[in-house]
Formats: sequence, C-alpha cells, structure tokens
Amino acid sequence: MKNLLRFFILIIPIGGILFFYNILTEDKFYPGASFKNTSVPQFELLSLQSKSPLINDDLNNEMLLNVWASWCITCRIEHGFLMKLKSEGITITGLNYKDEASDAIDWLNLYGNPYNYNLHDLKGSLALDMGVTGAPETFLIKNGVVLVHYSGEVNQAIWDKVFLPIIQDNEMFK
Amino acid sequence: MKRIILLSFIFLSSVSFSSEVYIFKSKADERRFYELIHEVRCPKCTSGSIASSNAPVSEDLKIKIAELINEGYSNKEIKDYARARFGNEVLYDPEINSTTLFLWFGPFLFLAIVFLGFIFRRKIG
Amino acid sequence: MIGEVSHFFSILASGLFFLSFVFSIRTYSGNHNLEVLVSRVFSYGFSFILISFLLYVWLAIQSDFSIRYIAEHSNKDLPTFYKISSIWSAHEGSMFLWILFLAGWSQLFNYSLSKNDLLKAPAIGVLAFIIFGFLIFLLFTSNPFETILPIAPTNGADINPVLQDPALVIHPPFLYLGYVGFVIAFAYNTAFLIKGDMQINWESVIRSWSLAAWILLTIGISLGSWWAYYELGWGGYWFWDPVENVALMPWLAGTALIHSLYVSSRSKVLRGWTILLSISVFSLSLFGAFIVRSGIIDSVHAFANDPQRGLYLLAFSAVLITSSLTFYVYRLPQLVSKNLVVAKSKESFLTINNILFAAAIFAVMLGVMYPLIFDYLYDERISVGPPYYNTIFAPLTFLASAFLVFSVGSLWQRSSKLFFLKSFLSMSIIFALIVTMFSVYFYQEYQWWFIGGIFSGFLILIRYFFLIVDSFMKKNYFNKSSATAHIGLGVLILATTLNAALSYEKIINIKPGETYKGDAYEFFLIDFDLINESNYDSVQAKFSVKPIDSPKEVFFMFPEKRKYFIRGQITSESAIKITPLKDIYMTLGDQLESGYWVVNIQYNFLIRWIWIAAAIMCFGGFTALIERLRKS
Repeated sequence: MKNLLRFFILIIPIGGILFFYNILTEDKFYPGASFKNTSVPQFELLSLQSKSPLINDDLNNEMLLNVWASWCITCRIEHGFLMKLKSEGITITGLNYKDEASDAIDWLNLYGNPYNYNLHDLKGSLALDMGVTGAPETFLIKNGVVLVHYSGEVNQAIWDKVFLPIIQDNEMFK
Repeated sequence: MKRIILLSFIFLSSVSFSSEVYIFKSKADERRFYELIHEVRCPKCTSGSIASSNAPVSEDLKIKIAELINEGYSNKEIKDYARARFGNEVLYDPEINSTTLFLWFGPFLFLAIVFLGFIFRRKIG
Repeated sequence: MIGEVSHFFSILASGLFFLSFVFSIRTYSGNHNLEVLVSRVFSYGFSFILISFLLYVWLAIQSDFSIRYIAEHSNKDLPTFYKISSIWSAHEGSMFLWILFLAGWSQLFNYSLSKNDLLKAPAIGVLAFIIFGFLIFLLFTSNPFETILPIAPTNGADINPVLQDPALVIHPPFLYLGYVGFVIAFAYNTAFLIKGDMQINWESVIRSWSLAAWILLTIGISLGSWWAYYELGWGGYWFWDPVENVALMPWLAGTALIHSLYVSSRSKVLRGWTILLSISVFSLSLFGAFIVRSGIIDSVHAFANDPQRGLYLLAFSAVLITSSLTFYVYRLPQLVSKNLVVAKSKESFLTINNILFAAAIFAVMLGVMYPLIFDYLYDERISVGPPYYNTIFAPLTFLASAFLVFSVGSLWQRSSKLFFLKSFLSMSIIFALIVTMFSVYFYQEYQWWFIGGIFSGFLILIRYFFLIVDSFMKKNYFNKSSATAHIGLGVLILATTLNAALSYEKIINIKPGETYKGDAYEFFLIDFDLINESNYDSVQAKFSVKPIDSPKEVFFMFPEKRKYFIRGQITSESAIKITPLKDIYMTLGDQLESGYWVVNIQYNFLIRWIWIAAAIMCFGGFTALIERLRKS
C-alpha cells in the first residue's frame, strides 16, 4: 500500500482535466444577465421631451428601464421588440444615454416611441451609478429595486429565458 | 518701465498653455489616481484597465474616480464604489478574504511545504 | 489543384508518423531491426509535411483565395512578407506552423542523434505520436486546406492591421521554436522512463537541446513584450494577461529545467526534479495551447470559440500528460538518488532554485485558474491581475536572488563556508545595503518592493563584479555564461523595480497652438495632418518637444489615430522618444467637442533596459550552448 501511495498525486492532473471538461461542455447561461438586487440610485434628471425634472419617486412601481441612444445601432434592432412589449401593456421608461436631446427626439419621431417618458442622462451619471457599460441595456425594476440587469439586445428568446421567470416569481405586470 | 512690463505681460499671456485633464490637490492624490486607474478593469473590454481604454464607460469611470479622490474618499471606498456598480470582476486586485485566502497564501504555503519536505528528507536519510 | 496536393501530403505525412510510432512500440521488446525503420519512416514523414507546408506558402504568395483560410486572412495588396506571415496570423495556419516546427526540430534530433543511442527509437516514436496527434487535430477540426468552391472570392479579407507588423510576424515563430524544442526533452525522457534503465545519462544528451529551446523561447516572449509596448498603446511591457501567463509558465519550468539538467547530468542527484520539470515544460505548453485555442478565457489573443477544438486538445493533452506522469510516478523510487545533497553545496542551492521556481509556476497557475474555479463554484466573477502577480513574484524573486548570490563560489558535492567576515558575499551584502539606503533616500521611495528590488538587483551585480575581478586577477576559471546570464537577471530586477517606482503619466487636454508644460519638457502642438494611405486614413498630431534643461535640443513626436478601411478598425499609434534613461510615450486619445484633444503622456523609466536585460540573459545562454556544442 505504501508503495502505491505516490500514485495519488495523479489526482491533480486528472482533476484538472475533469474540471476543464465540465467547463467546455456546460451550457453557458446568458453572460449578459445579472440578478443582483440593488436599489435604484438617487437621481435628478430632466425628462427628454417635456424638460420637467424627474426623481426616483416618479418611477413606476413595476417597470422596465431601457438604456438607449440614437447613436446605438443595436438599439434600432431591439426597438421593434420594445414596441411589442409596450403593446402588451409593459411599462417601459427610457434612459437616454449620452445623447443630444434633439437627436434622441428625432429618433423617436422617426421610429416610434415605446417609452412612457425618458430620463435624459446626457453625462451618463445615472448610468454609471447603475453599472451601465454601454447600450442597449435593460433593467427590470419593482418598487425601486433592480431585479434584473441585462446587457445587450433584448429579444423574444432573452425575454422568455431571462426576464419572464423573474417577472412570474414576483407576480409583476398582472 | 511700467509700460514695458505691462506689454510683456500681455505678450506672455497670448501664449496659451494647455492643462491637465485631471487636477488634484496634491502630488500624492495624483499618484493615487494614476495607480487606481491601472487597478480598475475596463467593464466593457475583454481585458485591460480603464487607463488603457477610451471606451465611454472607462472615460466616465476615470472622471468619477478623480472626483471621488478630490472629495476625500479613500482607495478602499473608491474600489467599493466601482465594485458595487460593476461587480467584483472590475477590480484587478482580488482582495484578501475567506474565499481568496488560498490564492494569496497558496504559493507561500506550497513553498513552505516543499522546503520542509526537502529538509525532512535529509533528517531521515 | 496545388491546394489538394498540399492537403494530400499532410495526410500522407500523418500516416507515416503513425507508422513510425507503431514501429517504435515494437522496439521496446528488443526488436532492433525496427529501430532503423522508425528513424527512416520518420524522416519521410518530415519531408512530406515540409513539402505540404512549402506548397501552402506558395498558395499564400500566389493569393489563392479558393483556400478559405487564405481568403480570410490575406489580401492581394499585401506585401509578400505579410502574405506569408498571414499564414500564422490565426488558429489553423499557426497550428500548421507549430506542427512544421515540431517535425523540423524532431527531424534535426533524428538526424543528429547516433543510431546507437539506446533511447533513440522510443524517443522518435514518442515524437511521431505527438506530431500525429496534432496533425489529426489539424486535419479534422482546424483544416487550413478547406476550400471555397466553386467560386473563389476575387480578393481576400485583410489581416487585422494590428498584425501587419514585423515584430509580431516573428514573435509566434520564435515562441513556437522555443516550445517545440522542449518537446525533444519530453520525448527523450519519456523513452527513458518507459525503458527503465537508470544508468542511461539522458540528461547530458538533452542539455544542448533544452538550452537552445530556452534561448528561442526567451527571445519569443521578449519580442511579444516589446511589440505590445510600442503597438498596443498602453505603454506597458507585461500585463499578466492569461495568454502571457500561459507562455510564462513553460518558460519558468524551462529555466528551472536547464539548471536542474546541469546538476543531474553531472551527478545522479535531482533526477526526480529534472524529469518532473521536463514533463512540466511540455505539459505547460500543451496547457497554454489549450487555453488559447479553446476560447475558455477571453483575452487579447484568444483565437477561437469552438468547443470541438477545445475538447480534442483537452483529450490529447490529457493522454500525453497523464501517461508521462504515470510513468514518472512509477519509476520515482528508482529515480531518487540514494545519496543526499550536501548542505551548502552547489547542488543544494540548485535544489532550492527548483523549489522557488516551482512556487512561481504554482502562483501563476493559481492566478490563471482562480477566476475559472471561482466562477464555477460560486457563479461569481473575479479578476486576478497585476496587483496579485506583482505581490507574489516580488518576494519569490528576492529569495531567489539571495540564494543565487549564496551559491556563487559554492562547490560541487562539497560544502563551503558562506558567511565569514571578509568573504565576497559579506562585502557584497554591505555594498548592496549602502546603495539601497542611498537609493531609498535619493528617490524618497520607502515601499517594501522597491527596497527589496534595489537590494536584490545590486546584490547580484556586485557579487558577480567581485567574482569577475577576482577570477581575472587570480586567473581562475569561472563559468562565464552563467555569470553573463545572471548579470542579465540582476539588470532585469533593477530595471523592473526602477521602472515601476519612477515612471509616471499625465493625461492632458490640448489643441493646436497650445503648449503643455510638464516637469522636464514643454510640449507644443503644432497642428494635425490628415494622412491617406492605401489601406487607412489617419489623423497625425505634430508635437515639438523642448527639454526644459536643454532648450536647444528640440525634437518632434507624431502620435496618430488610424482608421483602416476594410475592417473599420481604429488604432492608436503611439509616438515614442527614446532617451538613455527613459522613454517618452505619447498616445492620442479622443477629440472633444470643443476642438481639444485628449493626449496621454507617459514617462517610462529604464524600460529599454528590461529588454536589454533579456538580451543579456539570452547571450549568456547562447555562449553556454556554444561551449556545450564545442565539447561534444
């Protein structure tokens, strides 16, 4: 037995191989999705079109916050799906990210407006505070708490796999 | 004489000097800034610090960090700020806590064990 | 047509290598007739893979875009030099180059090793097996011969502009030459382990091969570092990126190996270490290839994202690594020397050297694996970067320097007094302390790593200074190659320490006609030039720089931002001014709406000395190799 003890060292490379095998074959869940619950940070921004001031209390209890900009090409692709969500009664507020107000308003007039209103975040300060790294990104928010933070384009597949389970668990949008 | 001095002042002021983007109250603060931006990872890039990236979010983070330094926040508080918003992975320095103990002390543990084994074998032999 | 022929030759080569391997198995049972056959079949295999590759180069030069890989990575308007180098600019082609080098080195070994060498046939067989495995990988999962038919595109896509650079062209070839050189050691010692005859001095056969491989690998890594510095725009020379790390680990193991081989070939001690190191270098190279080519870690370099490739490489590496380690563990009791290493002898210091290098490899491996394991266990991502590696490597380096200096003048298989009062060692310590205290005071730097780095670096340099002067005066022999290489190490430690402590940067806003006054220089932005080249447009800033201390010696710097047409990629070309003590490194940032531009100015102290130090180490290795070859 003592003689064979040294063979146990082979556990290390074999363990490593099994580990990598596991990683290569596992189904990677959506890397853009984060489910860390955080509160929406305090903010004071102007509404994009009406220019009236907006603060946290103005946000709906159950809503999506969609980060977008007129310079963002993927946002144009996502736009169609957002219009569909709006028609299903989902409240979507826009966070207009580092965009000139005139450009953003023109864009909405041209393509259609899925948002109940837009927070005009010219400097991107609220976006930075919420951990936004670019556009498009979407937050699922209930009572001022972020339940889902998704980086990337939301389409039917992402909606079904990432957002719907959380929406159902929290009995939202009834 | 006064006229000459006045004229030379006007002449000198027409040479325009550019300024540094990030202004700090002390050289130590400035040093902290340049050190920190190398330790914060660019949230949008596959790899690299915000110092070497000019992605919008990297630029914003640099400005924010400079602001926080000037407001008196400590390095730890600034790192916590970044971490709270972008996750643990935005810091290149994995802090020493219960989950990273092995990472930080592992190599020295390894060194100690092997070295002791070496000495131990000599004592037996 | 030629593509088909080239493909065919690769297939034939695989068959021949497989045959060579099969024959080699029979030689273990004592069938000596087959030994010559193993070698000869291998040679044919090499010729065929060489022909295949040369034909492929021809296809690249001729811009044959019916071949998918060439169409994806080359372009009609590229200079011939870059048409050829586009072959190794991505996964399939670089794998092909790797296999060519593997076959080339092995054939050199095949040719030069005496046919009376007892381990020759088994070793060639192992090499044949390895080449065969990689060829199957190439032909089935990463086929460079795939065609786009029936209609070939008229012109190819372009290479990533970042790759159209002389340094980056030769960086992979040097790197691969380095790695595959160590495969020789791996194959030969696997043959040794299987055969089991402990009397065979396999170490002395392998020394020159490993030394040559080490030199090439050091050059390859240094080239990568130098290229990254002037091309990527962040002004650093090493980032501890996962891909850099998986290249570093084989180098660490290889350095330890050449030291350990030195001991094992003279006396039969440290054999266990030497073989383990030899297996490790190649295993770590395999690990590196796996990490880079499987896409498991996102990084600046990572090639592909295809699980099939990753799985094959994993399986193949698993077979090679576990089988060699199994043989090793099996033979371990016989390998370990009955004689103990004498305390304070040269062997004892080289043993400690092995231990320290092993700890360093362990540290890098931990750093690379931790984020993966962490993500797997806790579903959370962490990053392990320069702060970790620098903190761990510094103390290890200081310890290694200390033991290096203790070992100078130590004797083989005998102890010697180390710390007597008037010894060179004591004097070196005292002088190094004085220089360190002076540096700390002069630079007002009190960080632990600065003190440790200055002390270690100077300790090495001063000790070797004494050695050289003393040996010269007494006309004694001393190992000149070792001295050169270790002096290179001392320079490296000092250069990296001072670079880290003294370098600084400033980010400024400036527009044409303005001057920025720095600590030592005044930067005046004259204007911008718009440049149109055949494959890119660029905005080039024209700076005139005036040193405040010597206002007459004005020079110019031209950082630019380029936009390449075909891929729409925007790159930043830094402007670098080399002065003896530092580099001034300027990068153009973004243009602001106000017409101002953001410019990053870095002062990188002693950065050139880091690569000079690497060159000194290589030169030391090179003289050692020449001396070895001359002896045999």
